[in-house]
Amino acid sequence: MDLQPIHSPPTTFIKKYVFSTDHKVIARQFLWAGLLFLAIGGGLGMLIRWAWGFPGEAVPVIGDLILPHSNGVIGPSTYNGIFTSHGLIMIFFAITPMMIGSFGNLCIPLAIGARDMAFPTLNMLSFWTFVIALLCVLASFFVPMGTAAAGWTTYPPLSTQIGTPGLGQTFMVLAIFFTGSATIMGGVNYVTTVMRLRAPGMTYMRMPLTIWGQWLTAILNVLFVPVLAAAAIMLIMDRHFGTEFFIAGANGPGDPILFQHLFWIFGHPEVYILILPAWGFAGDLLSYFSRKPAYWYKGQVWAMCAVTVLSAIVYGHHMFLTGMNPLLGQSFMLLTLIISVPAELLFLNWLHTMWKGSIRLTTPMIFTLGMVFVFGLGGLTGIFLGTISTDIYLHDTMFVVGHFHYTMAAAAFLATMGAIYFWFPKFYGCQMNEAIGKIHAWLSIIFITLLFGGQMVVGFSGQNRRLWNPFEYTFLEHLTELNLLTTYAAFALGISQLLFVWNFMEGVFSKRTCGNNPWEVGTLEWELSSPPPVHNFTTIPTVLRGPHEYANPEVRRTLGRDWISQTEELPSQPAGTGGADSGAAPAGGDSADGAADGDAAASDEPAAEVAGG
Amino acid sequence: MNLKRWTAWTTGLFCSLVSTLALADVLPERGGDNYKDGGSRWFPSYPRDVSLYGERIDWLINITAVFCIILFVIMCIWMVWACLAHNQNHEAEYDHGNSKHSVVMALGISAAIFFVVDGNLFYHSVKDLNEAFWDWEEANSGIKIEINAHQWAWDARYPGPDGKFCVKGDETCDDIVTLNDIRIPMDTPVYFQVASTDVIHSFYLPNFRAKQDATPGMVNHMWIQASSEKFKEQGLTTPQEFEIACAQHCGSHHYKMRGTLTVLSKEDYEAWAGHASQLNSRAYDKEDLDSHWGWSWESI
Repeated sequence: MDLQPIHSPPTTFIKKYVFSTDHKVIARQFLWAGLLFLAIGGGLGMLIRWAWGFPGEAVPVIGDLILPHSNGVIGPSTYNGIFTSHGLIMIFFAITPMMIGSFGNLCIPLAIGARDMAFPTLNMLSFWTFVIALLCVLASFFVPMGTAAAGWTTYPPLSTQIGTPGLGQTFMVLAIFFTGSATIMGGVNYVTTVMRLRAPGMTYMRMPLTIWGQWLTAILNVLFVPVLAAAAIMLIMDRHFGTEFFIAGANGPGDPILFQHLFWIFGHPEVYILILPAWGFAGDLLSYFSRKPAYWYKGQVWAMCAVTVLSAIVYGHHMFLTGMNPLLGQSFMLLTLIISVPAELLFLNWLHTMWKGSIRLTTPMIFTLGMVFVFGLGGLTGIFLGTISTDIYLHDTMFVVGHFHYTMAAAAFLATMGAIYFWFPKFYGCQMNEAIGKIHAWLSIIFITLLFGGQMVVGFSGQNRRLWNPFEYTFLEHLTELNLLTTYAAFALGISQLLFVWNFMEGVFSKRTCGNNPWEVGTLEWELSSPPPVHNFTTIPTVLRGPHEYANPEVRRTLGRDWISQTEELPSQPAGTGGADSGAAPAGGDSADGAADGDAAASDEPAAEVAGG
Repeated sequence: MNLKRWTAWTTGLFCSLVSTLALADVLPERGGDNYKDGGSRWFPSYPRDVSLYGERIDWLINITAVFCIILFVIMCIWMVWACLAHNQNHEAEYDHGNSKHSVVMALGISAAIFFVVDGNLFYHSVKDLNEAFWDWEEANSGIKIEINAHQWAWDARYPGPDGKFCVKGDETCDDIVTLNDIRIPMDTPVYFQVASTDVIHSFYLPNFRAKQDATPGMVNHMWIQASSEKFKEQGLTTPQEFEIACAQHCGSHHYKMRGTLTVLSKEDYEAWAGHASQLNSRAYDKEDLDSHWGWSWESI
C-alpha cells in the first residue's frame, strides 16, 4: 500500500476546487468544461443548419448580437468559420473532455480500487493545459478575419497562409496542439493507473468494460495524439516561420498529402478513441439494467482489443481519392472491412445481454439503447465508405457527414448522457430526476436520428459537403425541403437539451441524497459513499469476482437479491472456490491471477441451462 | 439458448443474406426509372446517371443497403422484443454467454455476415475498379483532357489536332482551353488528368458517379464515358448539360465552384473542337505565362 498513501485532504479553496489533484474534482472540472463547449459547439451546429434551412436569411433572436456586421446574416466566409469550429470544438473540446477527461478520471480509480490516479499532479496539469487550449479557441473568435475556416481536417494548403491568412486559424491549430498535450498527459496517467494500481484480485479480466474502453482509448491516445501534435507544429511552422512542409506545386517543394497521412493516422484511431469508451459504457450498462451478466465478457474485451489494433492500420480509407497507389488502396479497403467482424461481435453480445434479462428502462438504459440504435445506423453505413468504388460516389458528400455524426456524435453523445445520468450520484451525491431524464432521452434519440438521417439521405442523393448554399447546384435543388426538415430536427434537438440543463443544475444544487448504490450495481465505486470521500478507499478492497455477477441463483438463495458486489464473500462459498466467481474469472495466461478458468467455464454451463430451463 | 435453435437462426440469417444476393444478381442490374432523375422531394435518390459504368456503383450501394436494412431491422426487432418480453416481470437468466456453443455461434454469425455482406462488397468493388474505373487502357482509347482547378473555377485543356499538350515556353499552341465549360463526345472514353494550382479541390461529376481530388503538386487520373443507351432510356438528347461540382472544401466560394459539362454528339464535338482549336491558336500569347499551366500527359 506504499504506492498509495493517504494524505490529509486539502483545506484551501484553491487547492480544493481549482488546482486540485483529486481525480474526482478534475473529473468534475472536465465535465463542466465539456458541457460548456458542447453548448457552444451545438449552437454552432444549429447555425450551420440555419444556413442550409434558410440560406441568406438573418439568424433569429441572437443574429444581431453574434454577427453585427452582416445584420445577423451568415455569409460564406462566416459559414466556413462556423462549420470548422463546430467540428473542432465538438471533437476536441466537448466529447473528448466529457467522455475521456471526465469519466476516465472519475471511473478508473474508483472502479479498480485505487485512491487516486498514478500521477495526480500530471492529472491536474492535464486539465490546466486543456484550459489553455480552451482560451486559444475562444481567442480565435475575436481576432480579425475570425476563427479557423479550413475545415476540421485542416488540410493544407488551405490551412496555410495561402487559404486562411487570419490569426484565428493559428489559434485553433495551437489549441489542437495544447489539447493534444493535455490528452497525452491524461493518457499516460490512465494507462499507468490501470496497469499499476488495480486492487488485489482486480485482474484485467475482472475490470468493468467501462475501464477496458477507457484504457484502450488511453493507449490509442498515447500512441497517436503525438502524431497530431507534430502535424500541428509543422503546420504552424508553415504558417509563420517560412517552412514548406505541406506547400507544393508552384508555391513550394512540400507535399499536402503528407499532412493527410499525418492527420488520418491520428484521425482514424481518433474515431475509435471517441467510441471505445461508449462501447465500454454500453457493455456495462446493458448488463446492469438487464440484471444479467454481460454476455461473453471476454469476447467483448477481445473485440474491443481487436478494434484498437485494427484502428491503427485502416486510416487510408479517408484518402481513397487522393490518387494513392491502387494496391495500397485495396489493402486499406480489406483491412477496413475486417473491422466489421469485431463490431458485429460486440453487437451480438449486447443484444444477447438483453435477451432473457429483466430489463429496467431507466434513463441511463434508454440512452444506452439509443446509443446501440444510432451506432447500428452509423456502423452499417460505414461499410459503404470503406470500399473504393462506392466511395468514389459517396466521398465528401453529406453521406459521410451523416455517417460519422451517427458514430462519433450521436453514439458518443447518447452514451455520454447515459453515463452522466448513471454516475451522477458519484459526481454530486444524488440521482437526477428520472421522469425528466426519460423525456430528455427519448427526445434526444428521436431528433438526433432524424437530424443525421436527413443528412445521410441528402448525401446519398449527391449533396457534397461544406456548401454554404447547396442549392446553387440544380441537381440538388429538389433537396431544399429535406434540408429544411433536417434543420427543424436540429433545432428540436437543441431545444430538448434544455431539459438536461435544468435537470443537471437541479441535481448539482439539490440537497437530496441517495445511498451508496442506488442502481444496485456490483462494481467498486458503488461501495463508496455518494460522492466518495477524498481518498476513496480507507482500506484497499480485495476483489473476488468479475463486474457483472447478476441473477446468480446461488446469490439469490443466500443473500436474497439478484446482484453481488465484486468484493462481497458469499456465505456459502468463501472466496476462491469457484461458483459465483466462475463467469468472469481471469483467463489462463493473460493475467496475474491464476484462477482455473477451464473449470469455471465448465461449471457455469449447467447453471445456465437450468436457469434457462 | 439451445444449440438447435441457434443453428436454425444462424442458418436462416445466412440463407436469407445469400438468397438476397442471388436475387439481386438475377434481377436487372439497373433499378427502375424512378431514381433516374434524383427521386422525389421526400424520397430523394441518386442524381440521374448517364455514364457507361455508373450503374455499377448504384447497384453495389443498393444491394449493400438491402443487406444493411435486413440486419438493422433484425437488430431493432430484437431490441424491442427484448424490452417487451424480458422486463421486470421475470427474473433474468443467469448466463455469462461463454459456453462453447454461445461462443461458436457468435463467431459464426459474425463470420457469416462478414463473408456475405463485406465479401460481396469487396469482390464487386475490386471487380468494378479493374473492369471499369481503373481500366486505363480503355480510357486511353478516347479523348484526353487536363483539368486545372483553382479558387474557384475549373480550367480545361484539350490537346488540339497535334495530339500534344502545350507546356510552358512553347512557340505555338493549338490546345483548346476553356473555363468552367467542358464538352465531351457521346460514347467516347474521356480521360481526365486533374491537378490544382492553389489548394486541394475535388473534381466531382455527380451524373457520371465520378470524383477525384485535385491536389497541388500532383496529377490524378479519372475517366468517364457518356452512354447513348442511358440517354435514350431517359429520353435525353444532345447537346445535354450536366454540372461539375467541387467536393473538397476550398475556401469561401467553394459552394460556387460550379462548372458545366456538355455532352455532344460525335459530329458536333468534332466541329466544335476544330473551331475552338483554331480560335485558341490564333489567340495564343507566348508572353502570357499565367495561361501556360498545361503539362505533358502522364501515362499511367
